[in-house]
Amino acid sequence: MESVRRLLLYNIFFIVFSCIHCDVFKEELFIKSLPPSHLYTHFQFVTLVNSDTSSFHSHLAPRSLVEVISRFHVEELHLTLTEGQWRHNQWGYPVLDAAPGAELYAWFSADVVDVDIQWKKLTSTLSGLFCASLNFIENFNTVIPQMTLWPTGAVKAGQNVTSHLRYASLPREIVCTENLTPWKKLLPCESSKGFSALLNSRMIHNTNYHSVGVHVRKNCISNDCSENNLEIKQTVGLVYDYDILTSSEWSFRKLYGQGLPGACPLSSDSKIYVDVTSNDTQPFTLIPPPHSVVLSQRGGSDVKLAIYDVKPDGQMINIGIKHNRNSDLPVPIPPPLYFNRYVLGYGKEFGGIVTELTNNCWTSINVVVLENAPWWLPIQLSTLRINGEAESSLIISQYYSPGRSRQKPYHLELLMKLPPRSTTTITIDFEFVFLKWQEYPPDANHGFYIGSALILANLPTAKNYTSLPNTGTTFDSMLNASKLWYPIVFRTNGAMVSLPTPDFSMPYNVICLACTVVALAFGPLHNICTKELVLKPVGTPVSLLQKVFNLFKRKRD
Amino acid sequence: MGLLSDPEYGSVKWVIVLKKVHKPLSLLLYIGALVWFIMLGNKEFNNETYFSENALLPGLVTNDFNGEHSAKQFFNEFLQELEDKYEFSDAMPVPWLVAKMSQLHLEVYTHNFTLNYPLGNEQVYTGTNVYGILRAPRTSSLEALVVTAPYRSLSSHQKGTAAGIALMLAFAKFARPQKYWAKDIIFLITEHEQLGMQAWLEAYHGLHSDAETFHTSLGTFWTPGTPVFDLGKLMPGFSLNGDHKKCLNPGKLKGRSGSIQAAINLEFHTPKIKYIEVKIEGLNGQLPNLDLVNLVHKLCVKSGVHHSFRNSYSWIRSRNKMDDWMNGFWTMFDMVIAQIDGVPDGNHGLFHRFGIEAVTLEGREATDPAGKAPRAQALSTATFYRLGIALESILRSLNNLLERFHQSYFFYLLAATNRFISIGQYMPSLCLLCVAMLVKALSLWVSIPQEGDDDSDKKTKEKTKKLAKEKHSDSESAGEEKSEDTPLRLRKIKNNSDDVVPGEKEKTELKRKVKLTDESSMSVVNIGANYLLVHLIGYAVMNSPVILSHIGAKYNLPSEVSVFYGLIAISVFLIFITPVVPRLVRTARITHEELSLVNILLLIELSTVCLAVGMQNFPLGFVIAMLYTPLALITSVVVKGQSRLSSVLLVLKRVICLLVHPLVAVTLSMIVFSNILFPEEPFFDMMARGRDAAMQAIMFSIVDSMIYGNWLFNLATAVLLPIWIIFWQISCIKVDSPALK
Repeated sequence: MESVRRLLLYNIFFIVFSCIHCDVFKEELFIKSLPPSHLYTHFQFVTLVNSDTSSFHSHLAPRSLVEVISRFHVEELHLTLTEGQWRHNQWGYPVLDAAPGAELYAWFSADVVDVDIQWKKLTSTLSGLFCASLNFIENFNTVIPQMTLWPTGAVKAGQNVTSHLRYASLPREIVCTENLTPWKKLLPCESSKGFSALLNSRMIHNTNYHSVGVHVRKNCISNDCSENNLEIKQTVGLVYDYDILTSSEWSFRKLYGQGLPGACPLSSDSKIYVDVTSNDTQPFTLIPPPHSVVLSQRGGSDVKLAIYDVKPDGQMINIGIKHNRNSDLPVPIPPPLYFNRYVLGYGKEFGGIVTELTNNCWTSINVVVLENAPWWLPIQLSTLRINGEAESSLIISQYYSPGRSRQKPYHLELLMKLPPRSTTTITIDFEFVFLKWQEYPPDANHGFYIGSALILANLPTAKNYTSLPNTGTTFDSMLNASKLWYPIVFRTNGAMVSLPTPDFSMPYNVICLACTVVALAFGPLHNICTKELVLKPVGTPVSLLQKVFNLFKRKRD
Repeated sequence: MGLLSDPEYGSVKWVIVLKKVHKPLSLLLYIGALVWFIMLGNKEFNNETYFSENALLPGLVTNDFNGEHSAKQFFNEFLQELEDKYEFSDAMPVPWLVAKMSQLHLEVYTHNFTLNYPLGNEQVYTGTNVYGILRAPRTSSLEALVVTAPYRSLSSHQKGTAAGIALMLAFAKFARPQKYWAKDIIFLITEHEQLGMQAWLEAYHGLHSDAETFHTSLGTFWTPGTPVFDLGKLMPGFSLNGDHKKCLNPGKLKGRSGSIQAAINLEFHTPKIKYIEVKIEGLNGQLPNLDLVNLVHKLCVKSGVHHSFRNSYSWIRSRNKMDDWMNGFWTMFDMVIAQIDGVPDGNHGLFHRFGIEAVTLEGREATDPAGKAPRAQALSTATFYRLGIALESILRSLNNLLERFHQSYFFYLLAATNRFISIGQYMPSLCLLCVAMLVKALSLWVSIPQEGDDDSDKKTKEKTKKLAKEKHSDSESAGEEKSEDTPLRLRKIKNNSDDVVPGEKEKTELKRKVKLTDESSMSVVNIGANYLLVHLIGYAVMNSPVILSHIGAKYNLPSEVSVFYGLIAISVFLIFITPVVPRLVRTARITHEELSLVNILLLIELSTVCLAVGMQNFPLGFVIAMLYTPLALITSVVVKGQSRLSSVLLVLKRVICLLVHPLVAVTLSMIVFSNILFPEEPFFDMMARGRDAAMQAIMFSIVDSMIYGNWLFNLATAVLLPIWIIFWQISCIKVDSPALK
């Protein structure tokens, strides 16, 4: 009995021990200058958990999140909270694109029967976890993308991935410190040590663009994918403006308000990558000098990366650059594919949404465009025009799901081949609808938000491409990772329309008027009800003796 | 109508009274309207302006505009650039502007547009706008503000705008590193004045002329969808549709921001201005939200810049009540005059149609071509610093806006920079004019003899009626008097149910009714045909200028000449032909009743038109009502065989009618106007000058209607001309008196 007990104990020890070793935490920072006036910094915190052993017994992965994942049978989950708009035509491409506001999409495992219920539960739970208004995700703003989104992690063969996918975005969501704090709590070192110490909310909210994200997926360990582990990746993308920073010589102190106090002691790998490709044209010096500089050749573009290997020794590091001489204004080279989205027309009757896609490349690019219009903006398929033509040869495949009032959004997906060096305009018209008066949000005249369109593109070149390959987890997988093509999902800018809005100040006036009338009526009524009309004796003046007598009389009463 | 078609109403008291007093009553209403209008200038009749929108928070921020030095530098460099390279050309220094804006790290774009001049020899004009977008941090570019300045070359006869452009660039330089912007700011420099602005706005809102989806029909009046007489099929060589469609090709924008909330247009030719004139009148008399106008005035006060609106100057405040009133009235009157033609008095005016609130700030010196301001010489001169502070506070206030401008007033008149007259206060004056016309219509209606056309029948009927009436009054006795004000229909039912009324009467009544309906339906068809025909003529005249100019172009005439004389020819032709038209569409002669009915319809149409136009553009509606109400009041159906005095009066009436013909009225007002401007000229020179001015004015209104969608020409030809023609018909056609039958 004793031996069995001991064996059990050893076993538990062994399991725990092995688990500690199978959990890995890595932190990375990628810095890239976006000429002429911006700087991009991308943080990424990766926790790998062996999901075959119980995920509840991990000492690095955030239990609150892992519980949510396993409870709702989520296979893959992407949540981003973004403030600002990534300007693709000037800044190139981010590591991970995100739609302005909140964006959430998830794949549920195949054994989930009612995906919609699970989805609702998941959004409500995440809403509490991240202090975001994700609980406003309902059926009427959820779409099921058919071609645009594909799982990045491991998927069981033969599984229908689209039916278990749900996508929703809340473009009006305002991202603030209250979202960043719970996000930081998911990290093993929280914000006391490591790279996350740089994420000072005061400085983050001074940027031009910031996006925090949580991405959970399952990765294969073995070749046949019989074993997989859970990858929890937390990202922060920040874009700084040199004009707001008042100088183009950045340093950690200027960007984050403090230096880096060493790596997180729990992390197995802490690296800082600085893109120094522009050093050839605009010489600058990195201070302190990097530990190594590598050249990455990937899909026709050469990128030089300076790498710092940060140790958890608690030493303050302040990386920055110094310009060697004042150089000319660099002209940004537009990326191979960029786009623009805007609303047509004026007035309160009709309008149109235009998505302009510009292929700047020498070959044609295949893209999937997902237009997602809320139910109060009925888009009509009959008005779809590609470059002004109803029948376009550019469309390879098309999916349209008409919306239903207060139940389902309008959803259009187009698989298109963009000809080389061309601009393709997708126009679709809508009619404005009247809402019920309770359905107007506060500040109804502010306008109504139309979410971003999603664009899945298979880029033939890796110019401006900074994303990691699908199989990679960390930035070192990006080095020399030439592929046949480079898939990326973009989010266009959103738009705003003003629906016909009733004059909400009218009820206010009525209330004021009614209250005034009531108040005016109340005074006399109150007087009449509470006061007594007494006849004042008008007669002979009272003599002094009488007065004294009266005084006594009153006292006696 | 049941009330009015009651045969008994002729004896009702109010009808009798109305018949007696309608003439003095209408006159009284007319005078009342004018008095009301004049009274609006008085302080007792208008209100102090106030902020309705709390989110504006005007003047709450500390100003830290520090771009005075850079503004001066931009100003000097810009002038230098113009003198060096653009002295003899009208082109805009696009490279310089693009370079400067890119150095400020704005997103810079250029925008090309083309105008295919629709008339004459179809010239093609091109232009370029330059704009730079300041992207607000941490926003997704959903809202934007616009700061714009028109470019004027050195050879332009107008005041330059170099200081405005310099101020704009300096402000962009100051604003770019600020992190508090919540809305993008678009800095726009347009070429060719309003044309560039219109092209940019159309392009921004995606109103392309080549796309054929339905939203293109929102853009301009001239679209392929609208039904136009397809003369192209009848007359080879004219392709109407094509011309209109490609009038202004706005081109495409390469970059844009979100929905534009407000725009400020800057017209400063030098920083050393004395005061700022705030210009607000827009296309078709549209006005910006009163909150924006207030904001600009209030912030000018706060930044220590003198400002004015027309006749009202911020530095002059008189204590005399009468002076105050007169100042208020003249300010208001100036505004009314400026709004009549519906032409914007600055680039801001084109924004209004797109639901964007916009004003122009024009810098003026003491000796300004626009007019001398009293005591302006003594004012302190503004500097780039002061102007920059003013601009900064305005834009930061607009930046605070949470919602679009939707509070406050959109329809108002200004009596001073800080006093306004709301729509509820000025509309009564227009309503009184329309009521005068309606009173006349009502009196005409009640005096149309309702008896049949048969002479013999009539007398017997009258007898029976009298008889019936006597019996009736006998039976009802004194109760009759009291029931005067009870609804007539009710009384009728009572009558019918009354046993005392003889069956004989009922029969005759029925008979009469049948006859009446017979007759009225007959006349309605005839009248309707005439009515429709006249309005179609108006519609045709509206579309005629293109054809006229094409014909003129074949004989090498300038299009304004060919259009002007063409319109005169059409008018003369119409004057002679239209009185005969009713005879063409019917076999018998037109009767007195029919013509009276036409008159009634006309009065109702005219008053409706005036009210409808006045709702949108009060001055235009008011002026139309002012001009046409006298005509409407004096015009009456002419009866054959009159005394000499009345025939003299008739000639007088016809002359008055000719005077208010739209074309004649425009020409006359231009002659009078040129007489005011150049009083020393001899009579014939003045006439010639007036004619040229009228030519230009008509041409401008036609072109404005084609390019910008100005309504004036369309209204004058398609609505006013038919109304005038019918007036002319009424005063020209002589009919038999109903009494003589």
